Amino acid sequence: MRAGTPRRWAAVALAVIGLALVAMPVVFDVFSRAPKGAQMIDAFAPFMTSSRLDGYHADMSAIGAAVKDAPQVAERLFGTPAGSAQPRLAAAYPSFATFEQKWRGIYPDMTEMIDTIQHNLGNYDAVAALPSFTLFPWFFVAPGVIILALIALGLTCPAWWRRLSWALAALGVALVLAPAVFQMFSRAPDGGRMMTAFKPIETRARVARIQGYFSDIAAGQGAVQLELIPALRRAGLSATEISASYPGLTRFDGDWIHILNDMTPLIGAMSNNVVNYDAVAALPPFALFPWFFVLPGLLVAGLGLAAVPRRSRDTDGAASTDIPHPITEGVT
Amino acid sequence: MTSRPSRRLGVGLVAIAVLAVAAAPAAATAARAKKLKGTFELGAGSYFRMLQPAAAGGGYFSNPYSTDSDKTYTPVTAGEDGGIETGKLQPAPSPAFDAQGNSLANLIITPASFTGINFGLATVGTAPSISVKNGKLSGQLTGFTAEWNNQTFPQGSSAVKGTYNVETRKYVLTWKSLVSGGPFNGFTGDWHLQGKFKLPRVFPLSP
Repeated sequence: MRAGTPRRWAAVALAVIGLALVAMPVVFDVFSRAPKGAQMIDAFAPFMTSSRLDGYHADMSAIGAAVKDAPQVAERLFGTPAGSAQPRLAAAYPSFATFEQKWRGIYPDMTEMIDTIQHNLGNYDAVAALPSFTLFPWFFVAPGVIILALIALGLTCPAWWRRLSWALAALGVALVLAPAVFQMFSRAPDGGRMMTAFKPIETRARVARIQGYFSDIAAGQGAVQLELIPALRRAGLSATEISASYPGLTRFDGDWIHILNDMTPLIGAMSNNVVNYDAVAALPPFALFPWFFVLPGLLVAGLGLAAVPRRSRDTDGAASTDIPHPITEGVT
Repeated sequence: MTSRPSRRLGVGLVAIAVLAVAAAPAAATAARAKKLKGTFELGAGSYFRMLQPAAAGGGYFSNPYSTDSDKTYTPVTAGEDGGIETGKLQPAPSPAFDAQGNSLANLIITPASFTGINFGLATVGTAPSISVKNGKLSGQLTGFTAEWNNQTFPQGSSAVKGTYNVETRKYVLTWKSLVSGGPFNGFTGDWHLQGKFKLPRVFPLSP
Protein backbone atom coordinates (compact mmCIF):
# COMPACT_ATOMS: atom_id res chain seq x y z
CA MET A 1 0.00 0.00 0.00
CA ARG A 2 1.40 3.33 -0.96
CA ALA A 3 1.39 6.23 1.40
CA GLY A 4 -1.51 8.66 1.02
CA THR A 5 -4.08 6.34 -0.57
CA PRO A 6 -6.89 4.49 1.18
CA ARG A 7 -8.11 0.94 0.85
CA ARG A 8 -10.10 0.64 -2.31
CA TRP A 9 -12.97 -1.33 -0.74
CA ALA A 10 -13.41 1.26 2.01
CA ALA A 11 -13.55 4.11 -0.47
CA VAL A 12 -15.99 2.22 -2.67
CA ALA A 13 -18.21 1.39 0.32
CA LEU A 14 -18.18 5.02 1.40
CA ALA A 15 -19.15 6.10 -2.08
CA VAL A 16 -22.03 3.61 -2.04
CA ILE A 17 -23.22 4.94 1.31
CA GLY A 18 -22.94 8.49 0.02
CA LEU A 19 -25.01 7.60 -3.02
CA ALA A 20 -27.53 5.76 -0.85
CA LEU A 21 -27.92 8.76 1.43
CA VAL A 22 -28.51 11.01 -1.57
CA ALA A 23 -30.92 8.52 -3.14
CA MET A 24 -32.88 7.64 -0.01
CA PRO A 25 -35.07 10.79 0.11
CA VAL A 26 -35.84 10.30 -3.56
CA VAL A 27 -36.70 6.61 -3.12
CA PHE A 28 -39.00 7.33 -0.16
CA ASP A 29 -40.40 10.45 -1.82
CA VAL A 30 -39.28 12.46 1.19
CA PHE A 31 -38.92 15.66 -0.83
CA SER A 32 -42.66 15.88 -1.40
CA ARG A 33 -43.87 14.07 1.73
CA ALA A 34 -41.75 15.77 4.38
CA PRO A 35 -42.90 19.33 3.58
CA LYS A 36 -46.48 18.06 3.87
CA GLY A 37 -45.59 16.86 7.35
CA ALA A 38 -44.29 20.33 8.12
CA GLN A 39 -47.54 21.82 6.82
CA MET A 40 -49.57 19.46 8.98
CA ILE A 41 -47.58 20.26 12.12
CA ASP A 42 -47.96 23.99 11.44
CA ALA A 43 -51.67 23.72 10.62
CA PHE A 44 -52.49 21.95 13.88
CA ALA A 45 -50.31 24.20 16.03
CA PRO A 46 -53.13 26.64 16.95
CA PHE A 47 -55.31 23.77 18.19
CA MET A 48 -52.71 21.73 20.02
CA THR A 49 -52.80 23.41 23.37
CA SER A 50 -54.45 22.19 26.55
CA SER A 51 -56.57 25.32 26.86
CA ARG A 52 -57.83 25.10 23.29
CA LEU A 53 -58.69 21.42 23.60
CA ASP A 54 -60.33 22.02 26.97
CA GLY A 55 -62.35 24.64 25.11
CA TYR A 56 -63.59 22.01 22.65
CA HIS A 57 -64.68 19.82 25.54
CA ALA A 58 -66.47 22.86 26.97
CA ASP A 59 -68.16 23.39 23.59
CA MET A 60 -69.39 19.81 23.59
CA SER A 61 -70.59 20.22 27.14
CA ALA A 62 -72.45 23.43 26.22
CA ILE A 63 -74.23 21.71 23.35
CA GLY A 64 -75.06 18.67 25.46
CA ALA A 65 -76.45 20.87 28.24
CA ALA A 66 -79.19 22.06 25.90
CA VAL A 67 -80.18 18.48 25.17
CA LYS A 68 -80.29 17.73 28.91
CA ASP A 69 -82.73 20.60 29.40
CA ALA A 70 -85.10 19.22 26.76
CA PRO A 71 -87.35 17.17 29.13
CA GLN A 72 -87.93 20.23 31.35
CA VAL A 73 -88.62 22.40 28.33
CA ALA A 74 -91.10 19.80 27.10
CA GLU A 75 -92.84 19.75 30.47
CA ARG A 76 -93.05 23.51 30.52
CA LEU A 77 -94.45 23.76 27.01
CA PHE A 78 -96.61 20.64 26.95
CA GLY A 79 -97.33 19.84 30.61
CA THR A 80 -96.58 16.80 32.71
CA PRO A 81 -95.72 14.00 32.65
CA ALA A 82 -92.47 14.38 30.74
CA GLY A 83 -93.10 11.02 29.08
CA SER A 84 -95.99 12.37 27.08
CA ALA A 85 -94.67 15.91 26.79
CA GLN A 86 -91.48 14.96 25.00
CA PRO A 87 -93.13 13.31 22.00
CA ARG A 88 -95.26 16.43 21.70
CA LEU A 89 -92.14 18.59 21.82
CA ALA A 90 -90.61 16.42 19.10
CA ALA A 91 -93.72 16.74 16.97
CA ALA A 92 -93.90 20.50 17.41
CA TYR A 93 -90.17 21.10 16.94
CA PRO A 94 -88.87 18.39 14.63
CA SER A 95 -85.57 20.18 13.95
CA PHE A 96 -84.70 20.10 17.63
CA ALA A 97 -85.93 16.51 17.96
CA THR A 98 -83.72 15.43 15.06
CA PHE A 99 -80.75 17.20 16.60
CA GLU A 100 -81.48 15.66 20.02
CA GLN A 101 -81.55 12.21 18.51
CA LYS A 102 -78.38 12.72 16.44
CA TRP A 103 -76.56 14.24 19.39
CA ARG A 104 -76.56 10.81 21.04
CA GLY A 105 -74.13 9.68 18.34
CA ILE A 106 -72.31 12.96 17.86
CA TYR A 107 -71.31 13.51 21.47
CA PRO A 108 -69.38 10.26 22.08
CA ASP A 109 -67.74 10.44 18.67
CA MET A 110 -66.62 14.06 19.04
CA THR A 111 -65.56 13.59 22.66
CA GLU A 112 -63.53 10.53 21.76
CA MET A 113 -61.85 12.48 18.97
CA ILE A 114 -61.00 15.44 21.20
CA ASP A 115 -59.76 13.04 23.91
CA THR A 116 -57.51 11.33 21.39
CA ILE A 117 -56.08 14.64 20.26
CA GLN A 118 -55.64 15.73 23.87
CA HIS A 119 -53.86 12.53 24.86
CA ASN A 120 -51.42 13.13 22.04
CA LEU A 121 -50.51 16.67 22.98
CA GLY A 122 -47.16 15.53 24.35
CA ASN A 123 -46.48 13.46 21.26
CA TYR A 124 -47.36 16.39 19.04
CA ASP A 125 -45.08 18.69 21.02
CA ALA A 126 -42.27 16.17 20.66
CA VAL A 127 -42.66 16.07 16.89
CA ALA A 128 -43.03 19.84 16.67
CA ALA A 129 -39.77 20.20 18.61
CA LEU A 130 -37.89 18.19 16.00
CA PRO A 131 -36.18 20.12 13.22
CA SER A 132 -38.70 21.11 10.54
CA PHE A 133 -39.89 18.22 8.39
CA THR A 134 -38.95 20.32 5.38
CA LEU A 135 -35.29 19.84 6.30
CA PHE A 136 -35.54 16.07 6.63
CA PRO A 137 -34.49 15.10 3.11
CA TRP A 138 -31.49 17.40 3.39
CA PHE A 139 -30.33 15.60 6.52
CA PHE A 140 -29.64 12.66 4.22
CA VAL A 141 -28.69 14.44 1.03
CA ALA A 142 -26.20 16.81 2.64
CA PRO A 143 -24.05 14.12 4.32
CA GLY A 144 -24.31 11.99 1.18
CA VAL A 145 -23.07 14.83 -0.98
CA ILE A 146 -20.29 15.63 1.49
CA ILE A 147 -19.15 11.98 1.48
CA LEU A 148 -19.13 11.87 -2.31
CA ALA A 149 -17.37 15.23 -2.51
CA LEU A 150 -14.66 14.10 -0.07
CA ILE A 151 -14.07 10.91 -2.03
CA ALA A 152 -13.92 12.86 -5.27
CA LEU A 153 -11.45 15.22 -3.65
CA GLY A 154 -9.36 12.27 -2.49
CA LEU A 155 -9.27 10.86 -5.97
CA THR A 156 -8.16 14.19 -7.33
CA CYS A 157 -5.62 14.88 -4.60
CA PRO A 158 -4.38 11.52 -3.24
CA ALA A 159 -2.01 13.26 -0.85
CA TRP A 160 -5.04 14.47 1.09
CA TRP A 161 -6.51 11.00 1.71
CA ARG A 162 -5.34 10.80 5.30
CA ARG A 163 -7.04 14.06 6.27
CA LEU A 164 -10.10 13.27 4.16
CA SER A 165 -10.47 9.87 5.79
CA TRP A 166 -10.49 11.49 9.21
CA ALA A 167 -13.04 14.01 7.96
CA LEU A 168 -15.24 11.14 6.78
CA ALA A 169 -14.88 9.43 10.14
CA ALA A 170 -15.86 12.68 11.86
CA LEU A 171 -18.87 13.03 9.58
CA GLY A 172 -19.91 9.51 10.53
CA VAL A 173 -19.66 10.37 14.21
CA ALA A 174 -21.75 13.49 13.59
CA LEU A 175 -24.43 11.37 11.94
CA VAL A 176 -24.41 8.99 14.90
CA LEU A 177 -24.73 11.87 17.34
CA ALA A 178 -27.38 13.84 15.40
CA PRO A 179 -30.39 11.82 16.65
CA ALA A 180 -29.17 12.18 20.22
CA VAL A 181 -28.66 15.92 19.78
CA PHE A 182 -32.18 16.32 18.38
CA GLN A 183 -33.60 13.87 20.97
CA MET A 184 -34.90 11.77 18.14
CA PHE A 185 -34.77 8.56 20.13
CA SER A 186 -37.63 9.78 22.29
CA ARG A 187 -39.34 12.28 19.99
CA ALA A 188 -39.55 10.15 16.85
CA PRO A 189 -41.35 7.25 18.56
CA ASP A 190 -43.68 9.85 20.14
CA GLY A 191 -44.40 11.07 16.62
CA GLY A 192 -45.07 7.50 15.59
CA ARG A 193 -47.57 7.12 18.41
CA MET A 194 -49.29 10.36 17.37
CA MET A 195 -49.52 9.18 13.78
CA THR A 196 -51.06 5.90 14.92
CA ALA A 197 -53.55 7.69 17.18
CA PHE A 198 -54.57 10.11 14.43
CA LYS A 199 -55.01 7.37 11.85
CA PRO A 200 -58.75 6.94 12.47
CA ILE A 201 -59.22 10.72 12.73
CA GLU A 202 -57.40 12.08 9.71
CA THR A 203 -59.44 10.28 7.11
CA ARG A 204 -61.68 11.80 4.49
CA ALA A 205 -64.64 9.77 5.77
CA ARG A 206 -64.19 10.85 9.39
CA VAL A 207 -63.78 14.50 8.43
CA ALA A 208 -66.91 14.31 6.28
CA ARG A 209 -68.78 12.79 9.19
CA ILE A 210 -67.74 15.70 11.39
CA GLN A 211 -68.80 18.13 8.67
CA GLY A 212 -72.17 16.44 8.83
CA TYR A 213 -72.22 16.91 12.62
CA PHE A 214 -71.68 20.60 12.07
CA SER A 215 -74.80 20.71 9.96
CA ASP A 216 -76.76 18.76 12.61
CA ILE A 217 -75.57 20.93 15.49
CA ALA A 218 -76.26 24.13 13.54
CA ALA A 219 -79.80 22.95 12.91
CA GLY A 220 -80.18 22.19 16.61
CA GLN A 221 -78.93 25.61 17.65
CA GLY A 222 -81.25 27.25 15.15
CA ALA A 223 -84.14 25.34 16.68
CA VAL A 224 -83.15 26.47 20.17
CA GLN A 225 -82.80 30.14 19.28
CA LEU A 226 -85.56 30.46 16.74
CA GLU A 227 -88.12 28.00 18.09
CA LEU A 228 -87.71 26.79 21.67
CA ILE A 229 -86.70 30.04 23.33
CA PRO A 230 -89.45 32.01 21.53
CA ALA A 231 -91.91 29.27 22.56
CA LEU A 232 -90.85 29.64 26.20
CA ARG A 233 -91.25 33.39 25.86
CA ARG A 234 -94.73 32.86 24.50
CA ALA A 235 -95.40 30.59 27.47
CA GLY A 236 -94.87 33.60 29.68
CA LEU A 237 -91.26 33.30 30.74
CA SER A 238 -88.93 36.27 30.70
CA ALA A 239 -85.38 36.01 29.37
CA THR A 240 -84.09 35.95 32.95
CA GLU A 241 -86.51 33.17 33.92
CA ILE A 242 -85.56 31.13 30.88
CA SER A 243 -81.89 31.57 31.74
CA ALA A 244 -82.50 30.51 35.35
CA SER A 245 -84.80 27.58 34.57
CA TYR A 246 -83.02 26.25 31.48
CA PRO A 247 -79.35 27.10 31.87
CA GLY A 248 -78.29 24.47 29.36
CA LEU A 249 -80.52 25.84 26.65
CA THR A 250 -79.35 29.37 27.36
CA ARG A 251 -75.71 28.36 27.47
CA PHE A 252 -75.86 26.61 24.11
CA ASP A 253 -77.57 29.58 22.56
CA GLY A 254 -75.24 32.11 24.18
CA ASP A 255 -72.07 30.19 23.35
CA TRP A 256 -73.08 29.36 19.79
CA ILE A 257 -71.04 31.99 17.96
CA HIS A 258 -68.03 31.12 20.07
CA ILE A 259 -68.59 27.43 19.29
CA LEU A 260 -68.79 28.20 15.58
CA ASN A 261 -65.66 30.36 15.76
CA ASP A 262 -63.95 27.50 17.58
CA MET A 263 -65.12 24.44 15.69
CA THR A 264 -65.03 25.46 12.04
CA PRO A 265 -61.29 26.23 11.92
CA LEU A 266 -60.58 22.83 13.50
CA ILE A 267 -62.78 21.07 10.96
CA GLY A 268 -61.03 23.07 8.24
CA ALA A 269 -57.59 22.11 9.51
CA MET A 270 -58.59 18.45 9.77
CA SER A 271 -60.01 18.53 6.27
CA ASN A 272 -57.05 20.32 4.75
CA ASN A 273 -54.56 17.95 6.30
CA VAL A 274 -55.94 14.56 5.30
CA VAL A 275 -53.60 14.60 2.30
CA ASN A 276 -50.68 15.77 4.42
CA TYR A 277 -51.34 13.08 7.02
CA ASP A 278 -51.41 10.42 4.31
CA ALA A 279 -48.10 11.69 2.94
CA VAL A 280 -46.42 11.51 6.35
CA ALA A 281 -47.98 8.13 7.09
CA ALA A 282 -46.45 6.83 3.86
CA LEU A 283 -42.96 7.66 5.14
CA PRO A 284 -41.03 4.92 6.93
CA PRO A 285 -42.12 4.50 10.58
CA PHE A 286 -41.06 7.40 12.80
CA ALA A 287 -39.36 5.06 15.26
CA LEU A 288 -36.84 4.14 12.56
CA PHE A 289 -35.85 7.74 11.89
CA PRO A 290 -32.95 7.92 14.35
CA TRP A 291 -31.54 4.70 12.95
CA PHE A 292 -31.47 6.21 9.48
CA PHE A 293 -28.75 8.44 10.90
CA VAL A 294 -27.09 6.09 13.33
CA LEU A 295 -26.53 3.16 10.98
CA PRO A 296 -25.07 5.12 8.06
CA GLY A 297 -23.14 7.17 10.61
CA LEU A 298 -21.55 4.06 12.13
CA LEU A 299 -20.72 2.77 8.69
CA VAL A 300 -19.25 6.05 7.54
CA ALA A 301 -17.25 6.45 10.74
CA GLY A 302 -15.95 2.88 10.54
CA LEU A 303 -15.17 3.03 6.87
CA GLY A 304 -13.59 6.45 7.28
CA LEU A 305 -11.25 5.02 9.87
CA ALA A 306 -10.60 1.97 7.73
CA ALA A 307 -9.82 4.23 4.84
CA VAL A 308 -7.08 6.10 6.74
CA PRO A 309 -3.88 5.18 4.91
CA ARG A 310 -1.53 3.17 7.09
CA ARG A 311 2.03 4.40 6.79
CA SER A 312 3.41 1.34 8.57
CA ARG A 313 2.30 -0.95 5.77
CA ASP A 314 3.98 1.15 3.10
CA THR A 315 7.27 -0.69 3.52
CA ASP A 316 6.20 -4.27 4.17
CA GLY A 317 5.60 -5.10 0.56
CA ALA A 318 2.03 -6.34 1.20
CA ALA A 319 -0.23 -6.70 -1.77
CA SER A 320 -1.80 -3.36 -2.46
CA THR A 321 -5.57 -2.84 -2.49
CA ASP A 322 -5.12 0.87 -2.93
CA ILE A 323 -7.02 3.01 -5.30
CA PRO A 324 -4.63 3.66 -8.18
CA HIS A 325 -3.66 7.22 -8.73
CA PRO A 326 -5.62 8.30 -11.74
CA ILE A 327 -2.71 10.17 -13.27
CA THR A 328 0.53 8.47 -12.29
CA GLU A 329 -0.49 4.80 -12.13
CA GLY A 330 -0.80 2.67 -15.20
CA VAL A 331 1.49 5.01 -17.08
CA THR A 332 4.54 3.27 -18.47
CA MET B 1 -72.56 33.76 -77.39
CA THR B 2 -74.08 32.30 -74.23
CA SER B 3 -76.70 29.62 -74.18
CA ARG B 4 -80.02 30.15 -72.37
CA PRO B 5 -79.45 27.53 -69.63
CA SER B 6 -76.06 29.04 -68.88
CA ARG B 7 -77.57 32.52 -68.65
CA ARG B 8 -80.22 31.23 -66.24
CA LEU B 9 -77.56 29.59 -64.13
CA GLY B 10 -75.61 32.84 -64.04
CA VAL B 11 -78.67 34.85 -62.98
CA GLY B 12 -79.40 32.28 -60.27
CA LEU B 13 -75.88 32.42 -58.89
CA VAL B 14 -75.93 36.23 -58.83
CA ALA B 15 -79.26 36.15 -56.99
CA ILE B 16 -77.90 33.72 -54.38
CA ALA B 17 -74.81 35.87 -53.92
CA VAL B 18 -76.92 39.02 -53.44
CA LEU B 19 -79.12 37.28 -50.88
CA ALA B 20 -76.10 35.90 -49.04
CA VAL B 21 -74.46 39.34 -48.82
CA ALA B 22 -77.72 40.90 -47.65
CA ALA B 23 -78.29 38.25 -44.98
CA ALA B 24 -74.72 38.15 -43.66
CA PRO B 25 -74.79 41.18 -41.30
CA ALA B 26 -78.00 40.01 -39.69
CA ALA B 27 -76.64 36.52 -39.17
CA ALA B 28 -73.40 37.90 -37.80
CA THR B 29 -75.27 40.15 -35.37
CA ALA B 30 -77.38 37.26 -34.15
CA ALA B 31 -74.36 35.03 -33.60
CA ARG B 32 -72.00 37.52 -31.98
CA ALA B 33 -71.76 37.41 -28.19
CA LYS B 34 -71.96 40.81 -26.57
CA LYS B 35 -70.21 41.59 -23.31
CA LEU B 36 -72.51 43.06 -20.72
CA LYS B 37 -70.84 45.88 -18.86
CA GLY B 38 -72.77 47.08 -15.87
CA THR B 39 -74.40 45.65 -12.78
CA PHE B 40 -76.35 42.45 -12.42
CA GLU B 41 -78.67 43.86 -9.79
CA LEU B 42 -80.03 41.33 -7.36
CA GLY B 43 -83.76 41.03 -7.22
CA ALA B 44 -86.21 38.87 -5.33
CA GLY B 45 -85.65 35.19 -5.92
CA SER B 46 -81.86 35.30 -5.68
CA TYR B 47 -80.54 32.62 -3.38
CA PHE B 48 -77.71 30.41 -2.29
CA ARG B 49 -77.85 26.73 -1.40
CA MET B 50 -75.16 24.36 -0.26
CA LEU B 51 -75.14 20.74 -1.28
CA GLN B 52 -73.51 18.41 1.23
CA PRO B 53 -71.38 15.49 0.09
CA ALA B 54 -72.97 12.10 0.67
CA ALA B 55 -70.38 11.27 3.34
CA ALA B 56 -71.51 14.32 5.33
CA GLY B 57 -75.15 13.33 5.14
CA GLY B 58 -76.01 14.41 1.60
CA GLY B 59 -78.85 16.69 0.60
CA TYR B 60 -78.86 20.44 0.95
CA PHE B 61 -77.51 22.11 4.06
CA SER B 62 -80.32 23.52 6.14
CA ASN B 63 -79.63 27.05 7.31
CA PRO B 64 -81.94 27.69 10.28
CA TYR B 65 -81.44 31.43 9.91
CA SER B 66 -82.65 31.52 6.33
CA THR B 67 -85.57 33.86 5.81
CA ASP B 68 -87.11 31.38 3.39
CA SER B 69 -89.66 28.83 4.55
CA ASP B 70 -87.47 26.16 2.96
CA LYS B 71 -84.34 26.48 5.04
CA THR B 72 -82.17 24.90 2.38
CA TYR B 73 -82.55 28.17 0.45
CA THR B 74 -80.77 31.23 1.79
CA PRO B 75 -82.11 34.32 -0.01
CA VAL B 76 -79.61 37.05 -0.82
CA THR B 77 -80.50 40.70 -1.24
CA ALA B 78 -78.69 43.54 -2.96
CA GLY B 79 -75.78 45.22 -1.25
CA GLU B 80 -74.53 48.77 -1.63
CA ASP B 81 -73.54 48.28 -5.29
CA GLY B 82 -76.83 46.61 -6.06
CA GLY B 83 -75.28 43.35 -7.19
CA ILE B 84 -72.39 41.99 -9.20
CA GLU B 85 -70.55 44.50 -11.34
CA THR B 86 -68.82 43.26 -14.45
CA GLY B 87 -65.40 44.53 -15.48
CA LYS B 88 -64.42 45.56 -11.97
CA LEU B 89 -63.73 44.04 -8.60
CA GLN B 90 -65.84 44.41 -5.50
CA PRO B 91 -63.44 43.44 -2.73
CA ALA B 92 -64.17 42.88 0.92
CA PRO B 93 -63.33 45.80 3.19
CA SER B 94 -60.47 45.77 5.62
CA PRO B 95 -61.06 44.39 8.18
CA ALA B 96 -63.28 41.91 6.40
CA PHE B 97 -64.95 40.57 9.55
CA ASP B 98 -66.21 41.81 12.87
CA ALA B 99 -65.22 40.24 16.18
CA GLN B 100 -67.83 37.47 15.82
CA GLY B 101 -66.72 36.50 12.34
CA ASN B 102 -69.59 38.26 10.57
CA SER B 103 -68.58 39.32 7.08
CA LEU B 104 -68.49 43.06 6.45
CA ALA B 105 -68.39 42.61 2.66
CA ASN B 106 -71.58 44.43 1.76
CA LEU B 107 -71.12 45.65 -1.81
CA ILE B 108 -72.68 42.74 -3.69
CA ILE B 109 -75.18 41.53 -1.08
CA THR B 110 -76.31 42.67 2.31
CA PRO B 111 -74.55 40.12 4.52
CA ALA B 112 -77.01 37.40 5.46
CA SER B 113 -77.00 34.98 8.36
CA PHE B 114 -75.71 31.52 7.73
CA THR B 115 -76.05 29.39 10.87
CA GLY B 116 -75.95 32.54 12.98
CA ILE B 117 -72.94 34.26 11.40
CA ASN B 118 -73.37 36.66 8.49
CA PHE B 119 -71.78 35.82 5.17
CA GLY B 120 -70.93 38.38 2.53
CA LEU B 121 -69.74 38.23 -1.06
CA ALA B 122 -66.80 39.80 -2.84
CA THR B 123 -64.95 39.52 -6.12
CA VAL B 124 -61.18 39.24 -6.05
CA GLY B 125 -58.47 38.54 -8.62
CA THR B 126 -60.21 38.45 -11.97
CA ALA B 127 -63.06 40.86 -12.61
CA PRO B 128 -66.39 39.27 -13.61
CA SER B 129 -67.09 39.04 -17.31
CA ILE B 130 -70.46 37.98 -18.70
CA SER B 131 -71.70 37.98 -22.28
CA VAL B 132 -75.06 37.52 -23.93
CA LYS B 133 -75.74 35.68 -27.15
CA ASN B 134 -79.19 34.87 -28.43
CA GLY B 135 -80.66 35.58 -25.01
CA LYS B 136 -78.28 33.21 -23.26
CA LEU B 137 -75.75 34.38 -20.71
CA SER B 138 -72.30 32.92 -20.34
CA GLY B 139 -69.05 34.02 -18.79
CA GLN B 140 -66.85 33.80 -15.75
CA LEU B 141 -67.11 34.75 -12.13
CA THR B 142 -63.85 33.11 -11.10
CA GLY B 143 -63.06 35.75 -8.51
CA PHE B 144 -66.37 35.33 -6.68
CA THR B 145 -65.84 34.56 -2.99
CA ALA B 146 -68.07 33.99 -0.01
CA GLU B 147 -66.83 35.38 3.29
CA TRP B 148 -67.96 33.81 6.54
CA ASN B 149 -66.68 33.22 10.05
CA ASN B 150 -63.26 34.78 9.43
CA GLN B 151 -62.78 32.61 6.35
CA THR B 152 -62.92 33.14 2.62
CA PHE B 153 -64.42 30.48 0.36
CA PRO B 154 -63.76 30.69 -3.38
CA GLN B 155 -67.18 30.20 -4.92
CA GLY B 156 -66.56 31.32 -8.46
CA SER B 157 -67.03 29.58 -11.74
CA SER B 158 -65.55 29.88 -15.17
CA ALA B 159 -68.83 28.75 -16.68
CA VAL B 160 -71.76 30.71 -15.34
CA LYS B 161 -74.93 30.33 -17.34
CA GLY B 162 -78.23 32.08 -17.57
CA THR B 163 -80.79 33.92 -19.58
CA TYR B 164 -81.19 37.55 -20.52
CA ASN B 165 -84.07 39.47 -21.99
CA VAL B 166 -82.73 42.33 -24.08
CA GLU B 167 -86.03 44.21 -23.90
CA THR B 168 -86.62 44.06 -20.16
CA ARG B 169 -82.97 43.52 -19.16
CA LYS B 170 -84.20 40.84 -16.77
CA TYR B 171 -81.68 38.11 -16.17
CA VAL B 172 -81.16 34.81 -14.40
CA LEU B 173 -77.62 33.73 -13.63
CA THR B 174 -76.73 30.32 -12.17
CA TRP B 175 -73.65 28.30 -11.39
CA LYS B 176 -72.33 25.70 -9.02
CA SER B 177 -69.01 25.79 -7.25
CA LEU B 178 -67.31 22.98 -5.38
CA VAL B 179 -65.73 24.07 -2.12
CA SER B 180 -62.16 22.89 -2.02
CA GLY B 181 -60.52 22.90 1.40
CA GLY B 182 -61.63 24.25 4.73
CA PRO B 183 -64.55 23.24 6.90
CA PHE B 184 -66.89 22.85 3.91
CA ASN B 185 -64.49 20.90 1.75
CA GLY B 186 -66.46 18.80 -0.72
CA PHE B 187 -69.64 20.84 -0.35
CA THR B 188 -71.06 22.51 -3.46
CA GLY B 189 -72.32 26.05 -3.51
CA ASP B 190 -75.39 26.42 -5.70
CA TRP B 191 -75.94 30.03 -6.73
CA HIS B 192 -79.01 31.47 -8.37
CA LEU B 193 -79.10 35.20 -8.96
CA GLN B 194 -81.82 37.05 -10.75
CA GLY B 195 -82.99 40.59 -11.23
CA LYS B 196 -82.35 43.32 -13.72
CA PHE B 197 -79.17 44.25 -15.52
CA LYS B 198 -78.28 47.87 -15.09
CA LEU B 199 -76.10 49.71 -17.60
CA PRO B 200 -73.36 51.89 -16.18
CA ARG B 201 -74.36 55.48 -15.63
CA VAL B 202 -73.05 57.71 -18.45
CA PHE B 203 -72.04 61.14 -17.30
CA PRO B 204 -72.57 63.93 -19.87
CA LEU B 205 -69.47 65.72 -20.99
CA SER B 206 -69.13 69.14 -19.40
CA PRO B 207 -69.64 72.01 -21.85
